[in-house]
Amino acid sequence: MEQIKNCIIDYLKANSFMDKDTKFGDNDSLTQSGIIDSIGLLELVDYISEKYSIEIPEDMLTPENFDSLQGITNMIFKLAK
Amino acid sequence: MRIDAYITEYARITPQNIALEEGKNSISYGCLDEDINILASPLVVFEHCRFAILAESGIQYIKILMAVYRSANIAIPLPIEFPKFSLELILDANNVNNIIATDTQYFRFGESFFERFGTVIIVDNDNSLNILRRKLESETNKPKLRLVIYTSGTTGTPKGVMLSDKNLVANAKSIIEVLGITPKDKAALVISMHHAFGNSIIDSHIMAGGSIRIGSMNFMDSVFNLVESEVSIFYGVPSTYRILLKYPDRFKKAFANVRMAASAGGGMDWKIITDIWGLTPNIDILPMYGQTEATARLAYLPAEDVDEFIDTIGKAIPGVELDVFDSEYRSVEPKITGELVARGDNILLGYLDDEISTKERVIDGWLHTGDLAQKLPNGYIKLLGRKDDLIKIGDHRVNPREIERHIEENNKVSKVFVVPISHELLGTAISLMVIPTKGTEINTLFTFCRKSMPGYLCPREILLIDSLPLSENGKISNRSIIEEYKHVKASM
Repeated sequence: MEQIKNCIIDYLKANSFMDKDTKFGDNDSLTQSGIIDSIGLLELVDYISEKYSIEIPEDMLTPENFDSLQGITNMIFKLAK
Repeated sequence: MRIDAYITEYARITPQNIALEEGKNSISYGCLDEDINILASPLVVFEHCRFAILAESGIQYIKILMAVYRSANIAIPLPIEFPKFSLELILDANNVNNIIATDTQYFRFGESFFERFGTVIIVDNDNSLNILRRKLESETNKPKLRLVIYTSGTTGTPKGVMLSDKNLVANAKSIIEVLGITPKDKAALVISMHHAFGNSIIDSHIMAGGSIRIGSMNFMDSVFNLVESEVSIFYGVPSTYRILLKYPDRFKKAFANVRMAASAGGGMDWKIITDIWGLTPNIDILPMYGQTEATARLAYLPAEDVDEFIDTIGKAIPGVELDVFDSEYRSVEPKITGELVARGDNILLGYLDDEISTKERVIDGWLHTGDLAQKLPNGYIKLLGRKDDLIKIGDHRVNPREIERHIEENNKVSKVFVVPISHELLGTAISLMVIPTKGTEINTLFTFCRKSMPGYLCPREILLIDSLPLSENGKISNRSIIEEYKHVKASM
């Protein structure tokens, strides 16, 4: 789990408005804090699908699964099993 | 009449009717009107003063906006998708002493961002007000000024377009007529409210006494659920439709009962149209054309003509006159290229604190759009690119020269050239061609772009080149850049 989360943090640091020194809680909203926008989220979905070889159905593209580090990590963990 | 007065009127006639919906929340016209009064009450002591609004899209944003209107002040919604330093540039360029922010944005931007303001008011989710400080200062503003909307896209200082109550009401009325909006209609608003298109959806549906379902394009399942909640008119920029059409099965189901798919912000291409019709053959597609400088809309292509005239912007909306002028400001014959100009009650008062730009754009009452165009024999208008070098990136109008300068000034590079390239979702995205200097690093450039510009401006690729041949007149133009790009790609 921790490994997945760190991987997502690395991706966001490289590809979003998240900076090296951004303090960010596991359950904070990525969209409301301005870290990622709608196009950024679609790119993140593509990145995760490829990196973990999983298919993410569109009914899983919800705030619960994609708006926080914890949500994303849990979702990948579930799908990659 | 002010836009918020329509809310009061519907609160009187149909108080129980739903005005706004967002997630599990909804609010009737009656309650919305009361909430606006509460928010407006501490603002009435200010007399026609500028109020920056820092709020995410949502019911709360609309309440704050309407409260500023109701207190007879001037609303300046800040485009919150911009990086913090861009907003600081806007504020440096314009004198704004007062701000109203949601608590979410207050914590996001941090206390130091608010130090420049004499008055700071924070609005909680439960509608309670926290006046952190208050400083009454008299201001000199254009008497009719009600709203300032920033043009989107630029990396430099976006221009503040000054609009009056008359502008807002006139454009909303035209839009209601073109779309046939009634109190029964429910609009889907999933684009930014801080720019002209989103703002026009709010105004037109409120004026018609209809309802608006508010969401975002962030989470696809949520967007489709939103459309399925009995939405009758869906609004999107072309990239909105491209994104939704990535999920055809869900699109077909969600849009089955939508009566109209309206668009603005960029040209709808034939592929989007045929994809939509392939999935939902009965839906009316209504492409519209406009500019922030015209409050929002200027022209529309009637749904029945989409088939034949999709390569045009159609005709003027009611209340607007369109023409094509030559360089001497004379109307030209059909099939002759000139600049598209527009006249009507929706044309801006001017740019905020920028008389020079205002005089360049509004001449003898005609708004000079900067778009090159031809009239067709049937009166429809065809666009043929820009008079200046502005380009549409992800449906935002941007100045490539400004982006180039921004990157050059902040990085170790000799020259930067922005190349418009086609992109699956954005329509057009950008690549960069860079003439390197000592210490130029592609990765550093990528990082800089990601961190300091809106996401749609992040380059898809960065190519290093030796030189760029100048065009005939010795100037850098989009055409010479695109030609060189093709040449570089071909030799790779």
